[in-house]
Amino acid sequence: MKLTWRIWVLVFVLSFALMSVLNLPGPYIALVGILVISIPVSLTFIKSKNMLIFSLVIIALLLIIIPLFTFSSGVMVTSVNPSSVAFSEGLRKGMIISEINGVTIKNSDDFFNTINSVVESEGSKKFDIQTEKERIIFLTNSSIGVSVKNIPKTNLKTGLDLSGGARAMIRPANVSLNSNEISDLVAVTSNRLNVFGISDVSVRPVSDLGGNTFLLIEVAGITPDDLRELVGQQGKFEAKVGNETVFIGGERDVTSVCRNDATCAGVENCQKDSSGTYFCNFRFSVYLSESAAKRHAQITQNISLDSSNPKYLSEKLNLILDDKEVDSLFIGAELKGRVTTQIQISGSGKGATQEDAYNDAKNSMNKLQTILITGSLPYKLEIVKLDSASPSLGKEFTKNLIYLGLIVFIIVCVVLFIKYRRIKITLAVILTVLSEAIITLGIAALIKWNLDAPSIAGIIAGMGTGVNDQIVIIDESISEEQTSLKDKIKRALFIIVGAFFTIFAAMLPLFWAGAGLLRGFALTTILGVSVGILVTRPAFADILKRIEE
Amino acid sequence: MDEKNSSTISETNSQSKEEKKSFFKNFNYDKNYKILLAIPLIILLLSVIYLGFFYFRTGDFIIRDVSLSGGTTLTLTGDIDTTKLESQLKLKLGDVSFRKLSDISSGKNIAFIIESSAPPEELEKAVEDILGFKLTQENYSIEFSGPSLSNNFYHQLIIALLISFCLMSLVIFFLFRTFVPSIAVIFAAFADIVMALALVNFLGIKLSTAGIAAFLMLIGYSVDTDILLTTRALKKSEGTLNQRIFGAFKTGSFMTMTALVAILPAFFIVTGLPDSFRQIFFILALGLFADLVNTWLTNAGIIKWYCDKKGIK
Repeated sequence: MKLTWRIWVLVFVLSFALMSVLNLPGPYIALVGILVISIPVSLTFIKSKNMLIFSLVIIALLLIIIPLFTFSSGVMVTSVNPSSVAFSEGLRKGMIISEINGVTIKNSDDFFNTINSVVESEGSKKFDIQTEKERIIFLTNSSIGVSVKNIPKTNLKTGLDLSGGARAMIRPANVSLNSNEISDLVAVTSNRLNVFGISDVSVRPVSDLGGNTFLLIEVAGITPDDLRELVGQQGKFEAKVGNETVFIGGERDVTSVCRNDATCAGVENCQKDSSGTYFCNFRFSVYLSESAAKRHAQITQNISLDSSNPKYLSEKLNLILDDKEVDSLFIGAELKGRVTTQIQISGSGKGATQEDAYNDAKNSMNKLQTILITGSLPYKLEIVKLDSASPSLGKEFTKNLIYLGLIVFIIVCVVLFIKYRRIKITLAVILTVLSEAIITLGIAALIKWNLDAPSIAGIIAGMGTGVNDQIVIIDESISEEQTSLKDKIKRALFIIVGAFFTIFAAMLPLFWAGAGLLRGFALTTILGVSVGILVTRPAFADILKRIEE
Repeated sequence: MDEKNSSTISETNSQSKEEKKSFFKNFNYDKNYKILLAIPLIILLLSVIYLGFFYFRTGDFIIRDVSLSGGTTLTLTGDIDTTKLESQLKLKLGDVSFRKLSDISSGKNIAFIIESSAPPEELEKAVEDILGFKLTQENYSIEFSGPSLSNNFYHQLIIALLISFCLMSLVIFFLFRTFVPSIAVIFAAFADIVMALALVNFLGIKLSTAGIAAFLMLIGYSVDTDILLTTRALKKSEGTLNQRIFGAFKTGSFMTMTALVAILPAFFIVTGLPDSFRQIFFILALGLFADLVNTWLTNAGIIKWYCDKKGIK
């Protein structure tokens, strides 16, 4: 069994693609690498057919058995709230948790059950977390702030429409930004999402054919409402007394904001009003800079005491976010004209149940804190596109796409067999097309491309082109013409190269049109046909020559 | 179910093969190819007239969905009383349309899709008020495109479509380097797009960004059989011209039929798929269907005519 170098190229590329797609432990990858390289070497020495089959069976068995022992079990950390104790103790995104308080964690259900049982227990909450690197032990009274997912079996990443999450495209209204201002906007937006407690986020500028620049924000696990409020706001926070601004959000006036510390920030006083709606109040301390504190003193100096309620001043401190009043606070009489650097901000949330009201208040507090820390942008923002997909629907879609793939695969096998009535040829076509798809997926995994539904349509279309091309090669080579097989295949390759360049040219504009949102469709199609023309088609032609000879 | 399907396909395939053989023996292609050429031209003319009429009536060549015209698509999952939701939302917002997405193989209703030109906050609130529960990340998906952005996308995708067509034409000219055969291929691709577009409008399908992207793919995907035909007719020396064209037809129609058969399950077996995916496949199917006509009647006819004039036998 002598294989040509083109077939060897296919075998190598396919093996590397498989390693890139599957999420395998490092030692296993090294082993497969050695095996793949040793095959051609051993083939040169092993002459007997039986020996060859024997060694191939051994290799196959090894490949199947080893992962059973080396796959690590546990859950992968997807995000850690940067202000949580877990974070300060060294727990980070990407770590693998295998044990909590002596309980083995096999999947995300185990994780949540264990965490819940600890949270519900009496007394102080101790977490003893075993990761693949180290053991992390801490005590905390607030939420653990860690989210996890099952360890993925592959390195493939699916797009928003299949995995769930939200995506927004924003642009400044009425102004165009230069590249510096755009990177500022990227920084402020990322910072806001981080401060809000979201770390699994991608913020990047995109531009379209018309030269417009947008900011594309993709986040897993956020509601569209939150995303809208966090990134769509200019975030212009002003605290005013009358017409005079006391301080604004951002580090010039606000030196620090109390968060996650029950002594100076929290939700309290939940009450039900006459209409049955629940209200909860929140409050948190803000520390002002020296100059803001002096401004506060100057402004309050000239305000008289409230005649009906002399404990307070007659003017209130109005908190205004993006030109809308959030709250207005009484100013205590003792603060009149005093240079004070600590101010307490409060507000409320409401809901149909006490829990809803509590969460609403907590959410509003978190957003206000975020704005106060990150400051405002010098222009208004406009959300031009906002998509969110539910993870459960995405799961359903993914499952159906896999079913569909299997059915299409079977149908194509049957159709090819009916046409050519030869198992060898059918198998050759199917295996080549399959390896083409795997190589495309391997490249997608390598460049960490998010495969959305159009990308998968592109992969399938690429496979379609693959089948078509191979039909051309077969029909040319089995034609009863007198010319040599080499010439026949040469002519087939002319047709195939022609078809390659047309589909390449036709899909190219999609890289730029529509801000590149359909880039995945173009990319996977072009990758598929390129892999075809460079790797699988030449190998298939050689395989066919072997079958025919 | 699949087994049954494919076995019936095989029967009809072998039957039609027999028929084709006898048909081709009795049929005088040399005399009749110009008449055959007239069939696709008439279809093309009808399509153009229909599209012109469509443009005159609606002011546009396609029906745009919210991703191209601006607005919101809200997809609800889970069990909901859709009739109540439909009637009350119509009252509240006026401009709304509804679709159900179900999977044939499992018989499950997967999602209920609401489209409206209203902004997402308004639509969300209206739906929440009617349903009486809060929309969460688990039970709904939303897609919103601002009107100016969608318009922008639409125009850009149309420009991309034109660029795509021009690039494809350049490649074809470069491949064959002769005027008439190249024009024949390009004309066939043009006819594919026009016919597919007319069919899309006729069926009342709203096109999304992914739908227009599918047309771009169609430009590249549909010309492979034309390249096959032209190469076989002009670059092969053995056999008569008719034999070569018929040989190309056997290969090429099998290619297109395989692709069509592979696309069908997405509409008859597993149907619970993302909209963008279904639309891409649907347009490819329409285009490939049109391509059968345009490659083997239009393009073959022009090539035959050209070879007769040039004395290529």
